[in-house]
Amino acid sequence: MRHVFETMGTVASIEIAPTDAAQSLMPRLEAVFAEADARFSLYRPDSELSRVASGALTLMDASDEVRHAYGESLNWRDATGGAFTPNRPDGVTDLNGIVKAECIASAGILLENAGESGWSVNVGGDVLTSVSQQDGHPWTIGIVDPFDRTALLCSIDLVGGKRAVATSGSAERGDHVWLGGSTTPATFVQVTVVADDIITADVLATAILAGGAASLDEATERWNVDVLTIDRDGGMRATPGIRATISAPL
Amino acid sequence: MRTRAVITSIFASIGVLLIGWQAGQTATTTTVSTPQASGTTARTSTTTSAATSAAASSASPSVAPAAPVGPKAKDGTYAGSSVNTQFGSVQVQVTISGGAITDVTPLHLTDQGGRSVQISNYAAPILHDEVLQAQSSRVSNVSGATYTTDAYLSSLQSALDKAGF
Repeated sequence: MRHVFETMGTVASIEIAPTDAAQSLMPRLEAVFAEADARFSLYRPDSELSRVASGALTLMDASDEVRHAYGESLNWRDATGGAFTPNRPDGVTDLNGIVKAECIASAGILLENAGESGWSVNVGGDVLTSVSQQDGHPWTIGIVDPFDRTALLCSIDLVGGKRAVATSGSAERGDHVWLGGSTTPATFVQVTVVADDIITADVLATAILAGGAASLDEATERWNVDVLTIDRDGGMRATPGIRATISAPL
Repeated sequence: MRTRAVITSIFASIGVLLIGWQAGQTATTTTVSTPQASGTTARTSTTTSAATSAAASSASPSVAPAAPVGPKAKDGTYAGSSVNTQFGSVQVQVTISGGAITDVTPLHLTDQGGRSVQISNYAAPILHDEVLQAQSSRVSNVSGATYTTDAYLSSLQSALDKAGF
């Protein structure tokens, strides 16, 4: 079955075997996202993070959750040489980059702890799956064509323990990625990262989109990830892992 | 820093190799005067039969071979020559299948100290054809740049969700 709900300014789609047990988990899953949204959304003036942004609350006085997310964002900023950062050029602290991924990860843990298998969680185009589909086949994830968003560019099978796919692009939500105040256009219009976990996939997709070819080389060298990038002129680059799964006979 | 330089040099040698291959292909086009049945791909045979019927309608069915046969690079894997760059020697390998390059892989890289450089997870250029043949009907999830709630309504994911796929 599909359970679809709006959250964090986008839509979440959960695919899971249609059992009563699975059905009863849905309110808890929605709550994971709703709680984080209430705390971290910058679109809600009453959220804790909005109060931090407006100066009404200092980070030091903020909740453990906000300080934890900020700390994680800073760790990733250091790990990616600043390509990923929670500090927007306008001075506002934006933790959406990490919070959505952490919520997806929490949803996955909730499903696992409940003994569910054969599930997928897709929030705004970032996908986390169980090890395999219900029938044991690997999950096949379609990658959207950045030049025609109603078409697929290709599909990728999730194999070898990789369960997470995140895509960053400059086509939608241009504010999502900050190019460090640079006026030069980004090298890539879309970056897809396949990783063992959704946080690594999400952060590195953002970092490579922001940091261009240099960040791409660094990410593929330092992390166990597969990457597919689309240049402004439509040229593509892929790591061997992606190449292997997209050319597999289907 | 060095890795980046080495990678840049791979691109340079891929470029050299591609140019070389294209030049070879051009040369083939100009020198091949008769069609070689054994080397005819599915695509060229279509062209040939179209030309045959065109020729038939002009009442000269036996002159089909006059139709140009596309240049045919032999399928296989070709290692380029090692190119010395200021960053060390670089060698890449090209796979040709059905008359088109289907893969480019770095074979050997050395740094300035002459040591081999291992690049196991380098993101190399990939060709559209390689991607297009991988379309799948088994897709149940779509990954894309974060869509807004409004954009979701017109997205592929929305269509899959509606289908309960």
